[in-house]
Amino acid sequence: MSESFVLRGEDRGHTRLVSTGLNASYVAGHPDGVITRHSSFNFHEYQSGRAGFGKIRVLGDEVFTGNGTGYNMHPHHNFIIMAVVLQGTLTHINTIGKIDVLSAGDYYSFSAGSGGKHSELNIEPEDLRVIYIWVLPDRLATPPSYHRGHFDAAMHANRLHCLVGNREGALPIRQDLALHRLASTAGRRYTYRIGPRHGAYLFMLEGAAEIDGIPLGRRDGIGVTGDGGASDQVGITATADGTDLLLVDTVL
Amino acid sequence: MYKRYLCLGCGFLYDEALGLPEHGIAAGTRWAEIPSDWVCPDCGTPKALFEMVEIAY
Repeated sequence: MSESFVLRGEDRGHTRLVSTGLNASYVAGHPDGVITRHSSFNFHEYQSGRAGFGKIRVLGDEVFTGNGTGYNMHPHHNFIIMAVVLQGTLTHINTIGKIDVLSAGDYYSFSAGSGGKHSELNIEPEDLRVIYIWVLPDRLATPPSYHRGHFDAAMHANRLHCLVGNREGALPIRQDLALHRLASTAGRRYTYRIGPRHGAYLFMLEGAAEIDGIPLGRRDGIGVTGDGGASDQVGITATADGTDLLLVDTVL
Repeated sequence: MYKRYLCLGCGFLYDEALGLPEHGIAAGTRWAEIPSDWVCPDCGTPKALFEMVEIAY
């Protein structure tokens, strides 16, 4: 029998960052620019939740207001950082030598490895909405790498589509972990197989679904751990049109 | 057996075997010997928010 825990959207950590005061060197933008962050796992000043799940250490749901708001150049090492842009435009600059502009549906996987820096900026007028997922790698200090992809909700509708993972059509990753996205109409059912020593963390972006019978709505999350049996699976039923969720399959 | 600790703020690695000589921590210095008010040299994350990891190079 598998185990699961639910984290309701409103129970996540919540932070509001402005570019003045203590965060002046970290946060970019005008004094009235704001980054709003909801954290599903402990991160920075939010330490009263769960430390992580499997190899996931961060799941941040962020909104950057427009016209220059973002994160100034800051260092990263070792973590694999995945970003999924939901709305607006993200300009990402990194010291591998990449300047990339990502719009809704685009995503990247940045493996910091032996180290690099990056800056994340919203230089357009409209809000940027982005999901950040950080996972531990399976090797330390590897050469940094950056890959990007695009998720087309119409083309990939009604199936669990792999964005990042060591399989055909997905961005590569140095970890026994895969990130999937599901855009579904109402009434459809899906089954995701959890392998031995693996678990699945599902995060609802929009809509509504029953995950193993548990109803979840916008920004709710659930972590499911199999009991190691050969037939462990998660049942997903979309109960609303426009259901959009992420599923991270991670070794535990 | 030397251990490795990863900063949960930025992924900076402290490897006991290597120390951080450029920051005044000799090679072989155990995690417990580093003062509790020490912070990540790269991002300022407190020592308490490092995670011991068993990941190879």
